[in-house]
Amino acid sequence: MDKNQKLEFDVIVVGAGLSGSAAAAIAARSGLKVAIVERGQNPGSKNYFGGALYTHSLLEIYPDLWDRKPPLERPVTETGFWFLSKDGLVKATVQGGKVNSNPIDAYVALRAKFDAWWAEQAQKEGAFIIPKTLVVDFIRENGKVVGVKTDRDQGDIYAPVVIITEGVNNLLTQKLGLAKHDIKGDSAALAVKQLISIPAATINARFGLTDNDHGLAMSVMGDVSMGLPGLGFIYTGVDCVSVGVGVTLEALREAGIKPYELLQRYMNHPMIAPLIAGGRLMEYGAHIIPEGGWKDMPQLYTDGVLVAGDAASMVNALHWEGTNMAIVAGKCAAETAIEAHQKKDFSAKSLSSYRTRLDKRFIMTDLHQYRNLSHFLKTHPDFMAIYPTFINDALGMFFTGFGKPKGQLYKDILRSLTDRRPLLKAVGDIVAFGRTIIGI
Amino acid sequence: MSETSDTQQNDLPKVFIDDILMSLKYFTDEHEAHLKIIDTQVCINCKDKPCIQFCPVGAYRTQDGGTVQIAFQSCIECGTCRVMCPPANVSWKLPRGGFGVAYKFG
Repeated sequence: MDKNQKLEFDVIVVGAGLSGSAAAAIAARSGLKVAIVERGQNPGSKNYFGGALYTHSLLEIYPDLWDRKPPLERPVTETGFWFLSKDGLVKATVQGGKVNSNPIDAYVALRAKFDAWWAEQAQKEGAFIIPKTLVVDFIRENGKVVGVKTDRDQGDIYAPVVIITEGVNNLLTQKLGLAKHDIKGDSAALAVKQLISIPAATINARFGLTDNDHGLAMSVMGDVSMGLPGLGFIYTGVDCVSVGVGVTLEALREAGIKPYELLQRYMNHPMIAPLIAGGRLMEYGAHIIPEGGWKDMPQLYTDGVLVAGDAASMVNALHWEGTNMAIVAGKCAAETAIEAHQKKDFSAKSLSSYRTRLDKRFIMTDLHQYRNLSHFLKTHPDFMAIYPTFINDALGMFFTGFGKPKGQLYKDILRSLTDRRPLLKAVGDIVAFGRTIIGI
Repeated sequence: MSETSDTQQNDLPKVFIDDILMSLKYFTDEHEAHLKIIDTQVCINCKDKPCIQFCPVGAYRTQDGGTVQIAFQSCIECGTCRVMCPPANVSWKLPRGGFGVAYKFG
């Protein structure tokens, strides 16, 4: 290439994650010239989650998804909550019925594999991937962003629209002043995970799964986080199991514990250890989850720039949603970029239709509804210490109270709650929790 | 709450993080450390040094004299230290393009 020739595209996408490659695919499909700049060796090599992907969001980008043979693990045919006490477990899970939908609602996936494929699909739509390249700054003309500076020699790339999908460490979003502050310790969680290799037949036997086309995705509460504000999880892949736990950064620092020891403690739990016994560690990892949602959301657009995904704090921590928001928001950003090209207007005012698009979807309404979740966990730090253990005690006593006067049994059950939390405060907790999830 | 977490802390299993890190693949930048301590004296004066605990790969270690050293080669770029270092004494950048952790499975 001629040294003096400007490297120019119609759209630059920063980061080949779920949001970025979705945005790139939609923009490229409309005929725009799209570059995805990815800092990893390959798309996917920096990307990490629990986790499961939501079919609706994948189908929204690729209606012919199944013909493309996505590298997914198992469909989620059983899901719900596991409540852990120190040595016990209450399961509140659902299978069949609404979960047995067509298509199945969620699939377990491994991001390094999936995101590489996801980026490849964007490439098939015509997007150009520039890997091993870090975006370090923006190119501005008359105060407007007109491209990005990368860490390559002569690494300037120009485009009238830049879609930032840089992930949770949204330093570029901060650099533009769209995010007013860095991630906050009380509204972000550090999640650590071990991926453990276990033969598929053993997984089926241990988790009660009919075959490899059945899988499980569980949220785990209580002793998993030593009662700290946080959640654990367990997901079954085809021949691997993901086990992990996340707690807020602030709780982690305050407790003075090592996250990988917290994880090992969970894996040693008498109800968990048999499920993963004899397994070999395939990979360890950690990632921050921007659980602040609505309250930590940056400004979503400015002249020549749109922000989507984790970079825009699009996470609903209670419902484990984030990947689907990232994908749909990526699509909304791309549609906005396409429209801006049609109008030849890349001003903030023109790009503000991005917000309108997000408002029309579940993204903004859900994030707004759950806007107080982080605050609830902060003001109810013992919530995860009290209730999962109480549920274990209560059900344990209820189902073993043989030969005991039942009046006494119910008193004992009530006392196992009030020993931990005065009744009025417990009622207050439940009301506060209800208000938080309803969003009032 | 601190009382319960004190007693609970005792049942945390000892984990040798280096064994676990064997499962990770890195492309190490031999020319540039993307993480740096800004002022070594600040670490000496930092009483708690919570970085030693909260870093998920144990990259932060104390040295004789109370200084803190970062094994940036083990970093998985999570960002916790940038956000949680009490005196904000970490210069945190992403590794140059192509370097750092490369998840095989994710």
